[in-house]
Amino acid sequence: MRNFFGRVSGITIVAGLLFMSISAMNRGEALSMDQHTWSAGEKAILRSLWIGSLGPLPVDPSNKYSDNPQAAALGRKLFFEDHFSGNMKVSCATCHREDYFFTDNLPLSHGMATTPRRSMPLIGVAYNSWFFWDGRTDSLWSQALGPIESKLEHGISRTMSAYIISKYYRKEYEQLFGPLPDFMEETFPQHARPALDDPDALKAWVLMTPDQREEVNKVYVNMGKAIAAFVRTILPQPSPFDRYVEQILAGENITSRMALTDDEAAGLRLFIGKAKCTNCHNGPLFTNSDFHNLGLPQKNKDAPPDKGRAAAITEVLSNEFNCLGKYSDAHPDDCPELRFIDTSHRKYVGAFKTPTLRSVTERPPYMHAGQFATVREVLEFYRSQAKNPELGHSGLTDRELDQLEAFLHTLSSPVSSLQAEEK
Amino acid sequence: MRRVLFIIGILFFLLIGCAAQKEQTAGHMEKMTEDTGHAEAGQMEEMAAEHGHGDVKVTKHFDESLTKLTDNNLYSLELVIPDKHLMMGVNTIEIIVHHATGGDVAQADLTVTPWMPSMGHGVLQKPVVTERGGGLYSVDNVVLSMTGHWQLQVKVAKDDKTDTAVFDFPEVKAMGHEHAMMHAPPPEDLDYATMKMTANNAFNVMYSSIGGQIRINRIHSWELSIKDTAGEPVNDATVTIVGDMPEHGHGLPTEPEVKRIGAGGLYRIDGMKFTMPGWWVVTVSVMANGVHDSVSFNLNIL
Repeated sequence: MRNFFGRVSGITIVAGLLFMSISAMNRGEALSMDQHTWSAGEKAILRSLWIGSLGPLPVDPSNKYSDNPQAAALGRKLFFEDHFSGNMKVSCATCHREDYFFTDNLPLSHGMATTPRRSMPLIGVAYNSWFFWDGRTDSLWSQALGPIESKLEHGISRTMSAYIISKYYRKEYEQLFGPLPDFMEETFPQHARPALDDPDALKAWVLMTPDQREEVNKVYVNMGKAIAAFVRTILPQPSPFDRYVEQILAGENITSRMALTDDEAAGLRLFIGKAKCTNCHNGPLFTNSDFHNLGLPQKNKDAPPDKGRAAAITEVLSNEFNCLGKYSDAHPDDCPELRFIDTSHRKYVGAFKTPTLRSVTERPPYMHAGQFATVREVLEFYRSQAKNPELGHSGLTDRELDQLEAFLHTLSSPVSSLQAEEK
Repeated sequence: MRRVLFIIGILFFLLIGCAAQKEQTAGHMEKMTEDTGHAEAGQMEEMAAEHGHGDVKVTKHFDESLTKLTDNNLYSLELVIPDKHLMMGVNTIEIIVHHATGGDVAQADLTVTPWMPSMGHGVLQKPVVTERGGGLYSVDNVVLSMTGHWQLQVKVAKDDKTDTAVFDFPEVKAMGHEHAMMHAPPPEDLDYATMKMTANNAFNVMYSSIGGQIRINRIHSWELSIKDTAGEPVNDATVTIVGDMPEHGHGLPTEPEVKRIGAGGLYRIDGMKFTMPGWWVVTVSVMANGVHDSVSFNLNIL
């Protein structure tokens, strides 16, 4: 009898200790686990996040110039050309700065005036299905044209754009797209566009002949397609995280030689596991290009709430420059994203596109209205406030947030893009 | 001494077990099972319930319940749901049945049928009704198999007087993020079969993704093959597709379209896309030859 008690109590206490350590592990406390050993399933996830899984740039069937190097060279010049603005000071590069990962460092971008949203990073943007925070265009070339006619951004019109091209870029344009129409030589309305926010410009547009309008549209569209050919070349370089994945896939796991420290690897483990970041930040660009409402605080409480994707669904479907429109080079069968677009408005109220996390720690602030100045604030927000059931981050400790932040730093790398031609 | 150690060990075990357990939501069930005796027929109380039709006022027992008159005004039903919301999964609810004039209805034959109006299907699991007395009936096993728009049809039959009311729940969601279940992985015994019979065995449906293994974030197409119970191909079916992640409740990120492709019971679904890794459920509804049935496929997207 006595032996029985002895043995059983011994076993019970050992089992109790085991239980405790298992539940401690479940609570995420650091044990002396090897941070660089990954299961087969985890390795598959790491591979899916690795830059080597990016694959070649997807063909854009709506833009037959998208892979044309000459178009990209012209597009680069247009990207940096600040004549394309009302005050001659705003170019695409104003809000998509080459020295700042092709975004800017402002909570709300500023072209001709302050806009209601932050500039999006253009790193690997060509892999997206939808463009802008709300996905209101379905191609990179139609996205490039949006800011030109926006009063707050470039603040000019398509007629002015055509005029500028004819004045400064005639040769490059004609080499690619054929002769610029003769009527460019005459004086024609400088500010005419199908505007809802500018009655004078709209009137001037309507007073043009259909042929004139068509010619202007063609030039405008070609400009967008050239810019898109350049923006397609903006791609991330391999980062420490990518080197780490290569090490893991090659079977290395000697702590002192790994490209990630123990803490960074712990952060990665959280990123793909308990913190569920890969629900939305998945794939080699760390984005699923889909739209989610995180319950973010509204930037300007006096303004009407930003409806995000919900307002953009109708916009993209009716945009004259979408994949199914007449300026698109695509066959209707090549426009699956548009044909099968999710039109459920209610689902997408206040939902914004998941941005890429490549080099995220190098380019504050964060979220669609720059609500957070630091990555740590973003992580704290996710942990404590996100109302979205897909996030479920409430159980993260401060130490775990430290580790996540450390991991995010390992996604930093230079960005490559087509460079200017030697003169 | 060893006896003491033994007892300490057992207590330790119990303590750890309790600590590891997730918090159970305390139901309002405790309140329910109390005696709910109340006003006799004809007596009006201060709290008037809101009904869709008529000015018949009946006492509400609980602030948070839903009340409705049946379609022919024979009965008044008070539906009480724990946590105020039906959730995807298994729900237990309570229904208090009164005559329209206020008295308890005991020993009635109560049938509760969950139904998804937009999908045109119900559920395989039948809710189980237990009478508790005083007009109170508890209903277990109300299984809502997916998120979305649900209705509960409640039929009351007593003394040859049968009447029905429908309670509408436009947005049944998966459990909220604060609920421990959110972190649970999909059930271990989940079957990932790509060929199954529909819920009422009307059709045999098989799917395959065109272009090899499904890759996340890529629009792709599926091929469906639909056969009847005799193994004959079903052409001319109307097929609808919905999908969701049961743990999230956001639906598919696209609106796929189904096309018939030739004879042989073959159909193509274009516009399939999955933007999140994990457990997805795609439900195929088939309507052919006047028969309507559906089947759900589990997928694990990597």
